[in-house]
Order: sequence, then structure tokens, then C-alpha cells
Amino acid sequence: MATFDVAALRQAYGGRPVLALDALTVREGARLAVVGPNGAGKSTLLRLLAFVDTPAAGTIALEGKRIASGAARRGARLRVTMVEQRPYLFRGSVLENVAYGLRARGVSRAAAAVRAREALARLRLKELAGRDARALSDGEVQRVAVARALAVEPVAVLLDEPVSGADRAAHHALFAALAEEQARRPLTIVFASHLLEDAYRWADDLLALHLGQPSPVTPENLFRVDLPGGSAMQEVQVGPLTLEVVTDRTGPATLAIPPEEIVLSTASLHSSARNVLRGRIVRVAEHGAAVRVTLDAGIELVALITRKSFDEMGLAIGGTAFASFKSVAVRVF
Amino acid sequence: MSGPGGEVAGIALLSLRIALIATVIACLLGVPLGFFLGWTRFAGRRVLLALLNTALALPTVVIGLLIYLLLARRGPLGALGLLYTWQAIVVAEIVLALPIATALSAAAIQAVDPRVRRTALTLGAGTLRTAWTVALEARFAILAGVAVAFGRVLSEVGAALMVGGNVRFQTRTLTTAITLATSQGQFGFAVALGLILLALALTVSVIIQLLQGHGDV
Repeated sequence: MATFDVAALRQAYGGRPVLALDALTVREGARLAVVGPNGAGKSTLLRLLAFVDTPAAGTIALEGKRIASGAARRGARLRVTMVEQRPYLFRGSVLENVAYGLRARGVSRAAAAVRAREALARLRLKELAGRDARALSDGEVQRVAVARALAVEPVAVLLDEPVSGADRAAHHALFAALAEEQARRPLTIVFASHLLEDAYRWADDLLALHLGQPSPVTPENLFRVDLPGGSAMQEVQVGPLTLEVVTDRTGPATLAIPPEEIVLSTASLHSSARNVLRGRIVRVAEHGAAVRVTLDAGIELVALITRKSFDEMGLAIGGTAFASFKSVAVRVF
Repeated sequence: MSGPGGEVAGIALLSLRIALIATVIACLLGVPLGFFLGWTRFAGRRVLLALLNTALALPTVVIGLLIYLLLARRGPLGALGLLYTWQAIVVAEIVLALPIATALSAAAIQAVDPRVRRTALTLGAGTLRTAWTVALEARFAILAGVAVAFGRVLSEVGAALMVGGNVRFQTRTLTTAITLATSQGQFGFAVALGLILLALALTVSVIIQLLQGHGDV
């Protein structure tokens, strides 16, 4: 059975539409990554799936049951929990925070404390139990908030940018703990991220959002531009760079450069590719037999190349590389 | 009590009693009302808040006059026979403290991080527990409002004079006694009473600070 079934979902703030999602099914036990740049509607979607906000239109079904009334939403909130991008810990101890959801479900103080300690232990946070929640580091706050959300054993947990601000090791530990939790019991995980590499590494399904709508392309190498018009071959300003793009459109638009269309080389290529950018490799993420290489060329560009090419070229973080792509490879929408 | 020392102690105790009773009653009414105004959204809420903020600047002599007219023998509540009793001063001080307790509580609730409500909700809290959680997060700011109300009531003189009448051994408070001593040229006595008033205010302020503990207000 699907954990979430979304149909014709719409959300608007102050009359301004911020999310339009015609259909989405999240199966039980899935790890869905919702990716997109800031303002894409990721948090909006998570708050709707958490039944904290009410949609302007459309329906969400939880485990096959449509959740429409206020009472149904309250009931649904007992089975789904959300961790905010910047989680809020209540005044008091870490243990009191983690026990909060259990207390809200009528669990006795003593039993809630035992289960809260267990939840902390699963996140390897046992030693924080007695600490003042306001005296934690950002990374600790994030993990305590995840422990707090998992302590009530929800059917689904929604994580909004769960690793922003945290270091890579904390990042790894968090996702490893979530994987352990999933191995222990049925749990659906939906997480929002602006880093696609996290999505590829941790998710088994992906929803790309752009300006509140499902995006036909992944949110890597997306740039908001102003097309000058005038001819089909246009020179477009993207940050400090000028790219050559083939399009008839003018005015505001979004450019997408598919990562698999970018050729990386150690020297500048003389080829039919109209765009050649020199940059420094800032991130490398393995993705099966492929490697996603992020190049800082004044703008950040992600290129998808094979592991073999990566090794043969001797590429490494901090090294210089050239990214080449044809102007017809740049998608405009 | 006998002797000037006894009289001063009686005046100080009466001032404290009036201020405590008036503050407690005003806060019992004002804090929940402020919570309601800060928490809920309804038509006319902004107007109410604006009126409330105006009431913060209500001159105490106007309050005194209002309560005097209400409690005067021919007034609507004249039958109660409260005019020129310390209870009449309590009534006037409640009217003074109520807008303070309400407005500052409303502001304290409005200032609570919106994530508190969302977090309580997503963790499965019902409406009451969510409201209670928000109130707990605002408790230090609310307590600061209570302290302001108490300070204002303790130091008030106009209304206390008008509805209490500054009757010796009955309705004479520290502030009305200071007014009288000053008008009679007993400046040393007035200053001594003033110092007692300051000491009382300081003591209550320290107690509230201690209650707030490590609260970041």
C-alpha cells in the first residue's frame, strides 16, 4: 500500500500559487528525495504531507485513507512526523524534547523517558539525554530533532534539508541511522534537499521541483536568465559568464544544462561545442559506475562522467578541468 | 501598630498588598486574554490590539475618575460602599494593570517562533497541548509583562489618591504618603518612603529575575 497518494494538490500563500502537483505516490518503505533550488516548493510539499498545513486544493491520502477533515489531519499527524530545516527544540532537556511526542500520545512520563532514551541511543545520542536542549551545536540539534521525530515510531518521516549546515560525517551518520531504522521496521522517508548528490546517494526515488511544479529535468545546472533575443543563437549572461544558447525565446527563462551533455577534459577542446568553461573541481560524488563532478567555473556546473574516464584523466578535488557543451544541448524552458 | 515606624510599616504592607492583589487578578484575566489575542486570528483582532495598546497609555487620573464615578455613593456601584477603601484602590489598579498584562502577553505569544506551533503539531500534540507548549515557550516574556504590571501598580499615585482618599491607617499607600509628605514640606520623610518603595520594587524585580532563571528574555 502506498504511504502517500497525492492528487491535484495545490498550495498558495496570499493568493500566490507556490505548489501544483497533479499526482504523486510514495510507496511504503520508500526513500523519496524532493530536490530543487530554494523556492521550488519543497518545504511547502513536506508541510502538506505532514498535515501541518492545509492545501488550497487537492487531496492527500495516507495509507489509502483520504485525509480531509481537521480531525483526520490530527489523526494523521499521529502517524507522520516532520523535521524542519532548522529544527526547533523546546526549552528543557534533550530527553524531554524526545519524549514530547510520546507524552502527546498519552504515554506515561516513565515509559516515555525509556522510549526516548532508546530513540536517542539509535541515533547514537545517548550521552545528550540530560543536556539542556538550548546548549547544543547545530548538528546535534538536527540529530536530536530526528530522534524526536522517530521516537513516536511514525509510518513516515519527512525531513526538510536534513543535512544543511551539518558536516559530511554527521550527514553520513544521519542517513546511516535512518537506513538502520528502516531495516528495523517499515518506515517511509521523504527528504528535501537542494543537493542532488544526496538524493542520488540516499534516495531510491526522486521528485524534482522547480517553481512549485514537477520539473522535467533534474535541478542541477539550472539557471534563471534573461534572454536578450534578436537571433536564434543568443549570448546569455549567466552569473559572470556568457553562454551561447539556441532559442527563439526572449525575456526571463530557465536554462538547463543536462549533466550528461557536459564533456570534461584536462585541456581546452577545439570542437563543435560552443561553450567551453575552465573551472576547479569542488565536489565529486560517486553514482554507480558514474561520477558526478561539480566544477566551479564562476557558476557551479555538474558533469556526469564514467568512473573509468574520471580515473584515466586523473581528476581530483581542487584540480582544474574544462567543461564543454554544445549550445543546442542547453535546454530552455 | 503604634509609633511612626509602625505606621510606615503598615503603609508599606498596604501598598504591597494592594499591588499584589491587583497584579494577580489583572494577570489571571489578562494573560489568558493576551494569549487568545496573540494566538488566534479573527476579524477585528488588529483593532482590538490597537485599542489595547492605546489603553497602555491611559492616564491614571482618568482611571481614578472613572472608578470614582462608578463607586461614588450615587454611582452605579455606589451601593457597595467601596469608595475610600483600600479595595477601591485595588479595583482602580486592576483597570490600570489589565491592559498591560493583556498587551504584553499578546506580544509575547506573537513573538514565539512559528516553528514551535508546527513542531508541537507534527509531534502529535492536540490543540490544547500545542497552545500550552507555545505558552511555555513564551513564559519568560509573559513573566516580564507581569513584572511591568506590578511595577506600574506599585508606583501609581493618581488613582489611589482619588478613589482611596489617602485616609490615614486605612488607605494611605507609599505613593500617596509621599505626595502628602512632600506637600507638607516633610522632604526627609518623603525621601525615606521613596526609598522603601524603591526597595520593594527592587525586591520583586529580583524575585522575577530569579524565576526567569536562564530564560533568554
